[in-house]
Amino acid sequence: MTDFGALLTTLSRNKVEFMVIGGAAALAHGSARLTQDLDILYERSPENLARLVAAFKDTKPYLRGAPPGLPFLWDQATLARGINFTLKTSLGDIDLLGEMTGGGTYQDLKAGAITLTVFQTQCLCLSLQQLIRAKRATGRPKDLEALAELEAILEEDHLP
Amino acid sequence: MKFPETLGQDPVVEAYKKHIDRTLIRENLKLTVEERFRNAMSLMRFADEMRRAGREARVKRKQ
Repeated sequence: MTDFGALLTTLSRNKVEFMVIGGAAALAHGSARLTQDLDILYERSPENLARLVAAFKDTKPYLRGAPPGLPFLWDQATLARGINFTLKTSLGDIDLLGEMTGGGTYQDLKAGAITLTVFQTQCLCLSLQQLIRAKRATGRPKDLEALAELEAILEEDHLP
Repeated sequence: MKFPETLGQDPVVEAYKKHIDRTLIRENLKLTVEERFRNAMSLMRFADEMRRAGREARVKRKQ
């Protein structure tokens, strides 16, 4: 099971620059849909990649769904070579995105994001409107129900 | 409620919206963000337990 509190605390304690996106962000805004993993958008500077590596070094990160035994190394070079990573860790499942469809990068979205105070820590999270824009941009039929729920939340006068 | 001009309405999404259970949304909006995460984790534990029980029941039935 994904321990949202432990994942967010680990990221914050290691001063990783990130924001919560996807299903977990929808959850934070009041969605009733269940999500199994934590999706984050992370900043891609070498310094932040090093912080990300440090944050998860003791959690046995491995590529989710990949066969065991692959030469997957959790280090800065691996992160620098890729952009998006879907990982299984001892704290639960986490997706690390360097870019998101319809949204852009951490730098693009940072100014419009909201700050969550949760599990005795603070982290950035997509605003409800950013989340809706991102879902619309993906254009996937499977996202239509989730999108309808997010717009209903907006209509229920949820702030911000 | 006036929809934000920046987003506008999509008729397909509007059609889906008719089937959204707003009572669940209203209940969630009464909670803090942390309570929402804790509820989700509790639901995940429940789902795991139900899957385990289902697997166990299927094995017993085959025996």
